[in-house]
Amino acid sequence: MIEFQNVSKTYHLKGVTKVILDDVSFRFPKGRNVAILGHNGAGKSTMMRLLAGAELPDSGAIRRHVKVSWPLGFGGGFNGDMTGMENIRFVARMYGEDTERVIEFVEDFSELGKSLTLPIKTYSSGMKARLAFGVSMAIDFRYYLIDEVTAVGDARFKRKCDEVFEQKLERSNIVMISHSMGAIKKLCDMGCVLNNGRLHFHDSVDEAIEHHNHNQST
Amino acid sequence: MENVLLIQTRVVGALVLRETRTTFGNSQLGYFWAIANPALGIAVLVGLFSMIGRVPPYGDSLALFFATGFLTFELYKKLSSSLMSVFDSTRGLLSYPLVVEIDVVLARALLIVATYLFIMLIFYGSLIVLGLASYPRNADQIAMAVLATSLLGIGAGLVNAVIMRLWATWKQIEGILSKPLFFISGIFFIPSAFPSSLVDLISWNPVLHCIEWVREGYYPNYNSVVLDKPYLLSITLVLLLVGLGAERLYRKKRI
Repeated sequence: MIEFQNVSKTYHLKGVTKVILDDVSFRFPKGRNVAILGHNGAGKSTMMRLLAGAELPDSGAIRRHVKVSWPLGFGGGFNGDMTGMENIRFVARMYGEDTERVIEFVEDFSELGKSLTLPIKTYSSGMKARLAFGVSMAIDFRYYLIDEVTAVGDARFKRKCDEVFEQKLERSNIVMISHSMGAIKKLCDMGCVLNNGRLHFHDSVDEAIEHHNHNQST
Repeated sequence: MENVLLIQTRVVGALVLRETRTTFGNSQLGYFWAIANPALGIAVLVGLFSMIGRVPPYGDSLALFFATGFLTFELYKKLSSSLMSVFDSTRGLLSYPLVVEIDVVLARALLIVATYLFIMLIFYGSLIVLGLASYPRNADQIAMAVLATSLLGIGAGLVNAVIMRLWATWKQIEGILSKPLFFISGIFFIPSAFPSSLVDLISWNPVLHCIEWVREGYYPNYNSVVLDKPYLLSITLVLLLVGLGAERLYRKKRI
């Protein structure tokens, strides 16, 4: 279960003050897949980073009592000087997974072949995304945080991703940001709209999208 | 949910291995150089001092005298300076929900301490094998001294890291301020060779106490005129508390 308790987060940068969350409390309902909607710069990505613990709130607390993934679609945790293989090993060790099993899974899934023995800094962004996606699929998270999954590879590879992901969703849930309403409608069953520091919950995705569109047009 | 302590141990373990990889680089020689570097430093000092015909300030082996000083000093120096930039490398890692900053600090400190323990074992061991040094008088005292030095270095490093987070110029300033430590920590002298007024002037320096402690442990008849263990431990404790407290206090300053 993930819970926000009176969470506030404000940025002060060069005299500009930006309120991302203003005293927000809520609990992610069990078994639901949540979309986070908001206009550009509303703080959706910051919200993800808060969820992952990469950033801390100014006040309040965020409790994660379950295994939460890092924000997918983001390879920031990988070390560029280390090879793909070494990065996989690091993550597997950290989560107490069987390293060989994880490596096997990622090798098979990512189709990166020999590139896995090269440093990550030589990877294209597509290759990095494949690796990151593969590693996160090899570990059983209760919640997957998805920050705008960009197109990973060709149509065939995408299909493969979807298949694995659907399997995962049988036992896991997601919190997702995307600009593609199609992807959101497909994967999420509820939504919340982030606007001026407030978070509005909607029990259906359609309602949330409507609210979001309404905000956009005003 | 799993045991929190177990998770943290696992995370720190994974980080130590990662840190090993990033510190010693791609080449197989990376770790070799990390070990050879201080040894060569001592060799240069021994060479210079023998060339100008100087006798060791204490004992009859220049190599042993410099080892007790230089290796202890380097352990402190390495910890206090590499921990200073630790928060630069945590940014990406923090996106893993399991990692908190102190894990990264701990991993880096553990790797440095382990490396220096290894260096010391090899170096003192070789001196003994080559007949350049006798066995230490009291190995536990040396172990305690090394532990105290490590904690002092970690405390200083953490304080440096927090100051640097608030004020990036600190890196340059600390570099300049800590330069004289090399000359006033007892690598080249023993304090009893100095008049007591001068000794009073340098005895505030906790690193000097560390080195004196190692020498008391190593040499059979060495009695330090400055060594004050409670003083060293108090300074260490204060630095650790301030470092950890300030890290907690300014954790939100990170961007």
